[in-house]
Amino acid sequence: MSRVRSFSGGTHPPGNKELSRSREIVRIPSPDTVTVSLCQHLGAPSTPVVKPGDTVTFGQVIGERNGFISLPTHSPVSGKVLSVGEAPMPHRRTGPAVVIAVTDREESPVFEPWPDWRNRQASLIIDRIRDAGVCGMGGACFPTFVKLSPPQGRKIDMLIINGVECEPYLTADHRLMLENPSDVIEGMNILAMVLGVVDPCIGIEVNKPDAITILRNAGARVVPLAVSYPQGAEKQLIDAVCGRRVPAGGLPLDIGVVVQNVGTCAAVAHAVRDGIPSVSRITTVTGRGVAVPGNFHCVVGTPVSVLVEAAGGYTPEAERLVSGGPMMGMAMYTDEAPVTKGTSGILVLSGAEVRDSAEGPCIRCGKCVDVCPINLCPSLIAKASEYGNWAMANDFGALNCMACGTCSFVCPAGRYLVHYIKRAQNEIRAAARSGKGA
Amino acid sequence: MPEARRFELAMSPHVSATATTRRVMTDVCIALLPALAAAVFFFGFRVLLLTGLSVMAAVAAEFLCLRFMKKPVNVVLDGSAVVTGILLAYNVPPGVPWWLPVLGSSFAIVVAKQAFGGLGNNIVNPALLGRAFLMASFPVLMTAGWWAPLAKGPSGNDSWDQSGMPSADLMEADVMTGATPLNLLKQTYTWDAGAAEALEGGDGDGAAALREKASEVRAMLSSGQTRLSLLLGRVGGCIGETSALMLILGALYLFARKVLEPRLPLSYLGAVALFGWLFGGPGFFRGDPLFHLLSGGVILGGFFMVTDMVTTPVTKKGRIIFGVGAGILTMVIRRWGGYPEGCSYSILLMNLATPLIDRYTKPLAFGEVRKNG
Repeated sequence: MSRVRSFSGGTHPPGNKELSRSREIVRIPSPDTVTVSLCQHLGAPSTPVVKPGDTVTFGQVIGERNGFISLPTHSPVSGKVLSVGEAPMPHRRTGPAVVIAVTDREESPVFEPWPDWRNRQASLIIDRIRDAGVCGMGGACFPTFVKLSPPQGRKIDMLIINGVECEPYLTADHRLMLENPSDVIEGMNILAMVLGVVDPCIGIEVNKPDAITILRNAGARVVPLAVSYPQGAEKQLIDAVCGRRVPAGGLPLDIGVVVQNVGTCAAVAHAVRDGIPSVSRITTVTGRGVAVPGNFHCVVGTPVSVLVEAAGGYTPEAERLVSGGPMMGMAMYTDEAPVTKGTSGILVLSGAEVRDSAEGPCIRCGKCVDVCPINLCPSLIAKASEYGNWAMANDFGALNCMACGTCSFVCPAGRYLVHYIKRAQNEIRAAARSGKGA
Repeated sequence: MPEARRFELAMSPHVSATATTRRVMTDVCIALLPALAAAVFFFGFRVLLLTGLSVMAAVAAEFLCLRFMKKPVNVVLDGSAVVTGILLAYNVPPGVPWWLPVLGSSFAIVVAKQAFGGLGNNIVNPALLGRAFLMASFPVLMTAGWWAPLAKGPSGNDSWDQSGMPSADLMEADVMTGATPLNLLKQTYTWDAGAAEALEGGDGDGAAALREKASEVRAMLSSGQTRLSLLLGRVGGCIGETSALMLILGALYLFARKVLEPRLPLSYLGAVALFGWLFGGPGFFRGDPLFHLLSGGVILGGFFMVTDMVTTPVTKKGRIIFGVGAGILTMVIRRWGGYPEGCSYSILLMNLATPLIDRYTKPLAFGEVRKNG
């Protein structure tokens, strides 16, 4: 048995995955109205091409690409457009969306299914992945086709599939690997062919031994990883799997690596093999604020309230609603917001689970320095930021922070280190944009 | 129609580890208790009174400061004032009048801590600055209050001489200028210097006599029996510094609780041992590293004051620089300074360098390459 690999730094938050780990994925029929965000991917929002009163069919483009790093948005149902405008969103107060009254829930291929994808041209497959609106399903929502189009002369020799799911509580990727390993592997093989990578692998933490076994039995090369947060972060995963380090400020492409999430692989398989655009996902609804935590398959645009209902509704202890995991997820003010392609989980935390909001002074214990996976000094950046010294925050490497939250998690003083650092990042970037700097 | 439910917004992460500042401070207090037990055993119940008064004064001073500055007074419950109070008491001799630790810990809290902005903002270790204040203001009380261990102990046993060293009868009465092992060591340096001077003046016999006296005391200080005394705490010294064994026990607890990180204490103790061996004896490479580690305040300082989170660097490399720097300074003061012990001043001096050390030991970020030139 080979040594279990990992990265440097990191911490071990309680997993709490037992709440939903053994719950099979339940398919929820789409509700009577869906609210489809036009900004489900990283990059420019898509431009709406329907208007109220229009009839749409399943998979029809309702928002067109707007620039290179952008994706089209498809209708996840057949129905009638009710409105086009602002609606509550999980990651912001409101955002552009198309509201559709559902008349038909039937799914059928929108593109020509290519079960024989091995005989297709790589560039055509990349176009298909783009036109199907596939983006990173791990939460970052980066358009997948961009990662598959390396700049001229850049050779990609490694494809790592991210099955780490290091965020506590979340089990959607775990269930996907258990229940549908063939789609994951099919997607991985499609991506490997497109990139010209011969030996792709899947990185999975050893707290999911069943997933490791199932994927190995299905013929995939699995790299078992020690349990540590944030191992699912792209750069940390690459370091853990192959010991290569992405240069600061650089991209995995720079060192010949592409990372894709297991959910993205399944979406790629559906787009290429089955001709189905990316309009649904698996999401975990969990936390001690819902009665029956579980994993659900739903179309994008399904309101969070419908998912909470499917998980037995709120318990009296429900206190905080989060889109994503507890470490990096965004708090939501309302459950009217819809699921998007990046909604890896809906977390309803009880008062006992939520961190104490009281913040004490930094006692300079250095725990944040010890755990930072990027090797920063979060306490010093935060202090500089607190006093508005953006230059010093920049000097201490604020821009390298990926906001994984490990520092805030371990901080005995309960400081909102990520908040201070993000604030500094915004100010530093704003100053850089305005030219000369502040 | 019912009003839609609204949830509170907050920044990620939404969960946290269980460690809190208060728990950290409580752990430090627990880790300091074994040494107090040893002090009671060797010096008697009076040390309990002094420590208790010191803690109460620290907490009261903190409370009054917060009140005066109109800050939330519940901060006093974070436990940091208790730690300061204990450490201050541990740094005074057992024979001092009761008001001395009270004054010292009040000074520590008011001047060294609250005047700089309270917990997390003080530049130097409050307890050590309190001790320095007492040393400067009451030098006689602070150096004459040594008690022979057990002489006033609960057992009433007075079989130990003033230094606590069983073979101290080797020495003539006029030798006993000091009552701690480090005072004796300091004396040997003086004799060595005197011998060199005598030799220059042509007094060969006088030089030889002084040399012999120095080497006899050194042999006694390095004897197994002395080592055992130092380990147990059966020597003269400040209340909480004498029992190396009990302090190490407390430190092990802190390591187990992951409150202590190893870089600071190990680099400090390593530097004391190395430089003690290098120049802590009669000539180069002739010092006794074990004696230097176990005597005076090195073990207390190494595990409980060099490791003070607030006043030491946060960077990993910086912690090692701090420990080594404090270790060198401790030995320099012991060997050449005006005091027999240099532990507390070395830490205070390094405290002042902490912001600078942090600044210049900024680690390279993941994937960052050091710029040439």
